[in-house]
Amino acid sequence: MSRIEQFQYDNRIVRAFGMATFIWGVVGTLVGLTLAFQLIYPELNLSQTGIPYLSFGRLRPLHTNAVIFAFIGNGIFMGVYYSLQRLLKARMISDALSWIHFWGWQAVILCATFTLPLGITTSSEYAELAWPIDILITLIWVVFGINMFGTILKRRESHLYVAIWFYIATWITVAILHIVRSIELPYSLFGSYPLFVGVQDALVQWWYGHNAVAFFLTTPYLGIMYYFMPKAANRPVYSYKLSIIHFWALIFIYIWAGPHHLLYSALPDWVQSLGTVFSIMLIAPSWGGMLNGLLTLRGAWDRVRQDPVLKFMVVAVTAYGMATFEGPMLSVKSVNAISHFTDWTIAHVHVGALGWNGFLTFGVLYWLWPRMYRTPLYSVKLANIHFWIGTLGIIFYAVPMYFAGWTQSLMWKEFTPEGTLAWGNFLDTVTQIMPMYAMRALGGTLFFVGVCIGVYNLIKTAGQGSFLSNEAAEAPAREPRPVSTAGQYWHRWIEQRPIQMLLASAVLISIGGIVQIIPMVFVESQVPKISTVKPYTPLELAGRDIYIREGCVGCHSQMVRPFRSETARYGEYSKSGEYVFDRPFLWGSKRTGPDLQREGGKYPNSWHYNHMIDPRTMSPGSIMPQYPHLADNELDLSELPAKISALRRLGTPYPAGMEERAITDAQQQAKKVAGKLKEEGIKDEGMETKEIMAIIAYLQRLGTDIKVEPGGR
Amino acid sequence: MKFTKYLFTLFLLSLAATVWGQAATAPAPDPAADQLPRLMTYILVIAAAALFIVAMVYVVNINQFLYRRVLDLEASKSGVKLPGETAAAAVPVADSFWTTLRKKYWEDAVPIEREHEILSHHDFDGIRELDNRLPPWWVNLFLITIVWAGIYMYYYHWGGNGPSSTEEYKMETEQAQKQQTAALAGIANDVDESNVVALTEGGALGEGELIFKNTCAACHGQLGEGTVGPNMTDEYWVHGGGIKNIFKTIKYGVPDKGMIAWQSQLSASDMQKVASYILTLQGTNPPNPKAPQGEIWKGEAPADSTATPAPQTGTGG
Repeated sequence: MSRIEQFQYDNRIVRAFGMATFIWGVVGTLVGLTLAFQLIYPELNLSQTGIPYLSFGRLRPLHTNAVIFAFIGNGIFMGVYYSLQRLLKARMISDALSWIHFWGWQAVILCATFTLPLGITTSSEYAELAWPIDILITLIWVVFGINMFGTILKRRESHLYVAIWFYIATWITVAILHIVRSIELPYSLFGSYPLFVGVQDALVQWWYGHNAVAFFLTTPYLGIMYYFMPKAANRPVYSYKLSIIHFWALIFIYIWAGPHHLLYSALPDWVQSLGTVFSIMLIAPSWGGMLNGLLTLRGAWDRVRQDPVLKFMVVAVTAYGMATFEGPMLSVKSVNAISHFTDWTIAHVHVGALGWNGFLTFGVLYWLWPRMYRTPLYSVKLANIHFWIGTLGIIFYAVPMYFAGWTQSLMWKEFTPEGTLAWGNFLDTVTQIMPMYAMRALGGTLFFVGVCIGVYNLIKTAGQGSFLSNEAAEAPAREPRPVSTAGQYWHRWIEQRPIQMLLASAVLISIGGIVQIIPMVFVESQVPKISTVKPYTPLELAGRDIYIREGCVGCHSQMVRPFRSETARYGEYSKSGEYVFDRPFLWGSKRTGPDLQREGGKYPNSWHYNHMIDPRTMSPGSIMPQYPHLADNELDLSELPAKISALRRLGTPYPAGMEERAITDAQQQAKKVAGKLKEEGIKDEGMETKEIMAIIAYLQRLGTDIKVEPGGR
Repeated sequence: MKFTKYLFTLFLLSLAATVWGQAATAPAPDPAADQLPRLMTYILVIAAAALFIVAMVYVVNINQFLYRRVLDLEASKSGVKLPGETAAAAVPVADSFWTTLRKKYWEDAVPIEREHEILSHHDFDGIRELDNRLPPWWVNLFLITIVWAGIYMYYYHWGGNGPSSTEEYKMETEQAQKQQTAALAGIANDVDESNVVALTEGGALGEGELIFKNTCAACHGQLGEGTVGPNMTDEYWVHGGGIKNIFKTIKYGVPDKGMIAWQSQLSASDMQKVASYILTLQGTNPPNPKAPQGEIWKGEAPADSTATPAPQTGTGG
């Protein structure tokens, strides 16, 4: 037998990620709470005071990024760095890499904290960060990978435990998702246009966005569950076979389900259907994880009463089970017809984020802190209070949002017997659900208070204990060759071969993406051309980039679905050929305000002008932020030549020499817009050089191309 | 007492199932239009909800069983004899028919007191694994969803005649057209710009006012004083005054000037009511009036008035 080796586990890196987890947990939920209140009191956007940085459109991506990548991201690394060392019986291969990983990741988050409020965004959900930050993320992710695989390779344990399978699949899939989603052509230090366009961009986005949920919020957390839940319950994992089947099935099937975010959109039907059927097939693999978690508690349920750690974990796994049942149901087209674009989706993601990720994180934190600080938890009572107030918070968040989504959707779809929309004024469907928004803010407040209590409890625990930086351990060295697995379960073979496991995961997760994306990109017939659809003019392009900067896409969709209730309200339903020059696509995923795909020509310029400066003058009761700075800011056209040439390189057929003409062309069009405003009685002077010209020009262009007679422009 | 818990859980779950059922059916006011896809969805949702219920009952069941076991263990430690059943008998008994059935199709977990038989020899940082069979109901659920996926793809793409999204839309609008025609038959909704008359009755004007406040006030002001759109209270009209011109402007809009065509959102009688209400605003002198636009309307010519506003131009005035 090999000799026993002495070594130490690195707890400092775990503590660092743990502290980052709860600090960003507070920040992320606080930003979310701010958004909840902004939806009730639009003045809280502060944009009416001329400060544009904190309006809903700019804060929303900050909230999602802070919760996903800062709070949950650091939670993943905390769990991985603690469990990986122990499951492999080895210290991380390099402390230096661990700390580069830690500070690099915090740097990414800090960059996001500044760039997103500044309006530097790609507008692709959960991939909003500018291209230099994308590169930084890639580098840090590679550092994490080297550190993790280095440790796996020099492990003392011959086999890899199920948690590590999940970590491996997470690492490779997130790497692929991030790189493919972030292929973009820069035109300035922070600006870029994506490689994919229109419908393809939408498909790639939701292949990415959906699998960010799958491989950032789910698989690493399942790995964490597989370590911390049996540890906390002191029970064996229920079924090894279930682990195997649900792991491979989960990673293979998940990747296909992205198009369920685009049901009834301009995406071809066959891709939508694949999204639906793979979502349904995902129920069992997802529940496999829930079952293996809950059934591991067999024989420990009596302790769930007393131990707050187990309480948090049980609710987390239950929330996971609910969310992974609801998700497939929302992917059925006739359910999606109701739920999509409404607050139902918001409720769904918060059951996952607050319940599954949030509660599992706090369960782990409450388990880890006393162990690393070698002291009992400061207050079990406070932990219980946190548990109950957090649970109530989730309920008060989710239930009103279900009602809100349901109510609003039915109002959107209601017709009078004479065949007109019963709620023709979109705003009526918003004011109807304001009480639900207020309830949601209450739920969010409860959850936030719980988080603060948790942080206090952890700080006090740290204060009363003494931290164990390097935890001594010993284990026999590993035989250099894999142990023979003859006669054992077939899966034992791959459990000793991390590289093969990495490759197998990579192959499995690639199949779905390849089948869906490749035909969309390379088969021209998938996106039928419309001859009258032309590229944006330079001024409209500038306006579109302002639309992106202000985060308008957070509340306004640009996708009229083929339903009578939508064509009656907005106009002809959207065709894939209309988006062939949209980089990035701006279909949106939530209609807090009305769809804008057919906005062009609906209202006069002066309506838009007044509405931007103060929406409530044109629509009393509107909850849209004010944008007076658009009428103050000088329109910066200097980047137009670079934008035009970047877009041409990506395939937009701008004529040669357009770069030189772009600025004067834009100025002329701005003069026309300003002239029209004058005609309509707007008295403010000097508007032709302001940003508001560009956004009005863009809005007036939206969706009008298909109304042009061929050869008419 | 024991069963009230069950019943309550079941009750709550059945509520959930009803909600899902509604989810699948609510958007289809007309069952004839696309019966089969809705039916499939419905079946799926009910099946899934049923499975969910059964799974939850199963979990509750196990928990109660385990809790009972824990009590037994505690009791035997302290020497107290509990009423009711005690720890499982050590003598193996052949499975009954129902037990065989259950183990085959439903659940087949090794009881806790015998779990050492399937416990892994190896441990990972103290974590050990049981080698329980896959829960048969879970396997069946997985298989059912896979079969369903095949049927779905066949029905919509590989050979069946399931409608595409756009075909569904066509059916929906055709159906709506029929309903609309039926609903309008016999109602005095055949008002159009050639025969519309101003209403004077209070109820109709009240409804007109409500419509005005909801749909017109955004551009024409709460009191009709005009903001983005023209002042409705003076005697100047851009596209012609009088009930017929106003009705026509509302119905077809003036797209060039930003006036929306309301015919898809307001019924003819609603447009008549709001047009009639607008006429009552004449001379009300609200605060902050917008400067006059257009020309003074001198009333409709007496004899050949119906010929004047030609509907085909759409943008009269």
